[in-house]
Amino acid sequence: MESHRRTADGTAANRNPAGLAGSVSALNGHRPAALDDAAFHAAAQRILTTVNTVIDGKSDAARLALTVLLAQGHLLVEDVPGVGKTLLAKTLARSIDCSVNRIQFTPDLLPSDVTGVSIYNQTSRLFEFRPGAVFANIVIGDEINRASAKTQSALLECMEEHQVTVDGHSYKLDEPFMVVATQNPIEMEGTYPLPEAQRDRFMARISMGYPDMDAEIQMLETHQSASPLAKVTPVVTTAEVAAMITTVQDVYVSQAVKEYTVSVGRATRESPLLRLGASPRSMLQLLRAAKATAALDGRGFVLPDDVLQVAEAVLAHRILLDRKAAGAGETAHTVLQGILQRLPVTHASAGQPGTRPARSAPASGLGRNR
Amino acid sequence: MTLAPPRTPGQGQQQDNGAGAAPRRALVGLFPWAMAAAVALAVCGAALSLNGVLRGWNWYLPVLTTVLVVSFTLAALRGLRAQPLLVTFGGFLALGGILTLTFFRSSSILGVIPGGDTFGELDRLIGRASETVLSETAPVAPNAGIVMVVCAVLGLTVILVDALAVPLGMPAATGAALLALLVVPAMIKPQSVGFWGFVATVAGYLLILGCSQWFAPGFGTQTDAAGSTGHLRRAALTGSVALVAALLVPAVIPGFDQGTFPQGSRLNPWGTSTGLNPMITLGNSLRTPDGTGRITYATNATSPLYLRTVTVENFDGDSWGPDDRNESRIRLAGPIDPGYQVLADAQQRQVTAIDTGSLSSNYLPAPYAPETVRGLNGQWTWDPATLSIKGTDTTSRRQDYIVTSSAPALTPALLARSTGPAQDISDTFTRVPGNVPASVRSTAETVAGAAGTQYQKAMAIQKYLRSADFTYSLQSPVQGGYDGNGLSVLADFLEQKSGYCVHYASAMAVMARLQGIPSRIAVGYAPGRLTGETVPVAGQGPLSEYEVDGRDAHAWPELYFQGLGWVPFEPTPSRGVVPTYATEASAPGTADSLDNNDDLLPEPGQVPSPAPSVSAAPVPQDNGTADAGPRLLPWLLGAGGVLAGGLLLASPFLLRTGIRARRLRPRNATAAAPLAWAELADLGTDYGLPPGPSETPRAYSARLRRSLLGEPDGMDRAAHLAAAALTTGYERNQYGPPEAAGLGPANQEATNPEAANPEPAGPADPASPRDHIDALQAALRANAGGPRRFIATWVPPSVMRRLGFLTGAPFRAVGRGVRGTAQAAARSWRGARGGLR
Repeated sequence: MESHRRTADGTAANRNPAGLAGSVSALNGHRPAALDDAAFHAAAQRILTTVNTVIDGKSDAARLALTVLLAQGHLLVEDVPGVGKTLLAKTLARSIDCSVNRIQFTPDLLPSDVTGVSIYNQTSRLFEFRPGAVFANIVIGDEINRASAKTQSALLECMEEHQVTVDGHSYKLDEPFMVVATQNPIEMEGTYPLPEAQRDRFMARISMGYPDMDAEIQMLETHQSASPLAKVTPVVTTAEVAAMITTVQDVYVSQAVKEYTVSVGRATRESPLLRLGASPRSMLQLLRAAKATAALDGRGFVLPDDVLQVAEAVLAHRILLDRKAAGAGETAHTVLQGILQRLPVTHASAGQPGTRPARSAPASGLGRNR
Repeated sequence: MTLAPPRTPGQGQQQDNGAGAAPRRALVGLFPWAMAAAVALAVCGAALSLNGVLRGWNWYLPVLTTVLVVSFTLAALRGLRAQPLLVTFGGFLALGGILTLTFFRSSSILGVIPGGDTFGELDRLIGRASETVLSETAPVAPNAGIVMVVCAVLGLTVILVDALAVPLGMPAATGAALLALLVVPAMIKPQSVGFWGFVATVAGYLLILGCSQWFAPGFGTQTDAAGSTGHLRRAALTGSVALVAALLVPAVIPGFDQGTFPQGSRLNPWGTSTGLNPMITLGNSLRTPDGTGRITYATNATSPLYLRTVTVENFDGDSWGPDDRNESRIRLAGPIDPGYQVLADAQQRQVTAIDTGSLSSNYLPAPYAPETVRGLNGQWTWDPATLSIKGTDTTSRRQDYIVTSSAPALTPALLARSTGPAQDISDTFTRVPGNVPASVRSTAETVAGAAGTQYQKAMAIQKYLRSADFTYSLQSPVQGGYDGNGLSVLADFLEQKSGYCVHYASAMAVMARLQGIPSRIAVGYAPGRLTGETVPVAGQGPLSEYEVDGRDAHAWPELYFQGLGWVPFEPTPSRGVVPTYATEASAPGTADSLDNNDDLLPEPGQVPSPAPSVSAAPVPQDNGTADAGPRLLPWLLGAGGVLAGGLLLASPFLLRTGIRARRLRPRNATAAAPLAWAELADLGTDYGLPPGPSETPRAYSARLRRSLLGEPDGMDRAAHLAAAALTTGYERNQYGPPEAAGLGPANQEATNPEAANPEPAGPADPASPRDHIDALQAALRANAGGPRRFIATWVPPSVMRRLGFLTGAPFRAVGRGVRGTAQAAARSWRGARGGLR
């Protein structure tokens, strides 16, 4: 772990003074060409294979992490200690040939440690900006809820706008940029829970969960002598990831799927069990995650299934349960599942298959109204 | 909805949404009165159709006053803004008041408040009404009892209709209450409800619906255009379904001439009792399909034995019934004396052991003329005039007794000698009622006027009634509206020449009496069937046993011949047995016409000479062609019926096949994919796995393949591939980019390697949706069990569901109504509770 940190810092240090502006413009100036399906698929498979060799039996979590990366979102990994949250984040970062920074959030961490600070250069007699840990393609924020709210909020701008403003000067961050934060939901003493605004910045929250028996035995074997992380070598380049992101952006979204996505959001807002439903930003992120899912699935268009597949990961950490519902034993999971199971799927044509639900829906609505 | 200030929450809301309600407020004042008028019109209209159940129109005035008083009391209370429950309660009070005023004025206080004696009188009237219902046939005389019951029922209907229409807000449900009124004439009167009654009821019903719609608070504020088209479509749909059902159902139902409730029979919740008037229940017993009231008897009589229960001799009045003559009855202790002398040379004495079983009647079945009866339980009396035996405190149920009876050995010669005027009998048996229809009188004169002796007259009448003109039918009197008895019925019968024993017996009895022969109608049982068992009877040894049941119930005339006593005849064709003395004396060779069904045999005089032996060959041919004509028709009808039934049974299958063929017709890919998917969903539905509304195509397809198909790599590989191809095709069509949707599955290989990877689509591309569907269907069939396969083929749920959606619409409406009632009841209960606090 120590070695990794050094290399990551070293990469960042090597690159930052000289190549900061250049690399950003190289990635942001023109839009990279989209990959064709085969290349996209091969690259995605390489990343997933790599992650799966390190983290046993968690292919779903790995796939979702990749989905978030390709959808240009940020990932919040929440689970009890010792299930491989940090390992997942680090493996994903290492499998891509990009800069990785790791921030261990501690109660005394300052915002400037994250964003960077202007220091006076004795030689040039000028203030120079020394970039903080956030200047990397992938930023691993470990135990993010251990830092004070002040420090946490230093991430707000980076995550939403992919830039840092220090002393009135804005610095663009590298693309792709992804924050992978971990937090421990059990031991809350001395922590600063993420405020809603901060949580809303994360595209998805996943919990690792315990591995199954075989995977755990496998883990004991492979992790005996040395950390498998050491053997991880990058399998895709930054440019490839950027091209993959472009591919995802090109995924077609039909009107019906947009309607379905919006109806999911509206259903959460109208649910009596929820105090706070999903925000419009979350709808955007839901759709982006769905597009990435579709692309990973090898499809050029989004299905309602893609929306369903990521809906819980994207929405569960944003909604707030009503007190009564929480008292009745409902969780975000159960409420969302209930909403999604009741929500009629939108069909594009009002043709044959759509007619039946469409016909029965107003009828039941009438019945309810009377 | 009412004018009441918003006491109940529902009304409060309704008042709030009337933004432009100011001009309507004046109209709202009219609402209770308009509604009351509509209700009164509907109920009075339904009451119109009771004419024919009750005779004449005298009963209509009390009905009218009752309905009007009750309905306008309700309106007045509602106009005073009383509580809904209070309004209904007031309706009950008004009903009690008007009934007291009409029927119990003498015993009441101030004319409208029931006094102490009122309840005794009420009891008496209800008793009279129930007597009327039990013992008379429609149309019944409108006595005070039945009219009071009718008034009370109609008044209650008004309250019910009003409560349904106004406080419960279910005006459509009032139709059920009105229908309940119309059911009575529809069941009792042969000509059913009648035009005017129906029209007036429907008009009232429509007015009720109209009133509640015009004055409904939400009316006019909702989106009129959308609402009206929806209503119109739904109304048209419901109306056409109802019309088709009304046309089809009577054609399909075979008719009520058999089964548990045959046409013309009456509901008899009191068991197999013969009731107060056996003349009335006789037709009913004959029509019972299962022959209840089985009696067994063993006799040593040599000729077929008629068991007689009671006689009818008074032909006055509209409805004949037995006269009990309770005051002159003699307690059954010693021998029974017929009261007249029999001058015949020989008397036949018969011993008959009778077991009545479950037959429950006041009158004891016994062969004529009984001399002694042994073994009875309870108190019994006999009538010296008719020798009918009647229980005073008991019925014939579970009686086992032995009757000794005697009958003179009658011969035609003996009867022909009896010419003297009748003595020894009361004039009840000879009196001719004043209102005999002229047609009956003239028929009697034509038939028997020329005959010399009384015996010849009797024979002439019997011959006339047994002639080929007359047919035996249990149904035609019902259909012709002359089921029952009485002189007017008799006239109808002689005109229609079709009826059953009651008609024949009364015709012969009346015609004989017109010809001066004392007569009466005996009611009882025709000779029964041998059971094949023997019963030991004390002093007689084993005697063979016979049985009769309700279907053998019979009526026959008894004519009095001076010196010979009462002599039974048998004018009813195909029933009973013609006594030897009553067969045609001129044709002694036809002794075998004892075997009753002489309506099938031609009259003795007309028997054609038995010619068939003359030319055996051509005759059958001729007969064959001659018979083919009339016989072909039933065959054709039967075949047509079978064909129609088969078509009806196969219609879901045919419909399903048609839908499939229409969907899979070759067309361009854009149009084909959704149709193929619809076919897949219907296939799944047929095999018990309908798609849910919140199920994505992919999820449904996966579920279908998981639960209905076998292993993806096994035998069902083709079906799995087909389902996958159909699913991706549909997804592409529905959610894919527009240009890709048009390209169809051919494009999918190139752009979509991953989707094809887990289940390689293989050479699926040139395959049409039809091939996919065929493969899928074959696999579904192979994997399904027998019953499911049968259901999927012959009653496919996908089709039945659509039919069910159509046919279920009324039931859903009822369900909504019931839910609405429950909610409204809860609301009004809460409102009432709130009002009391």
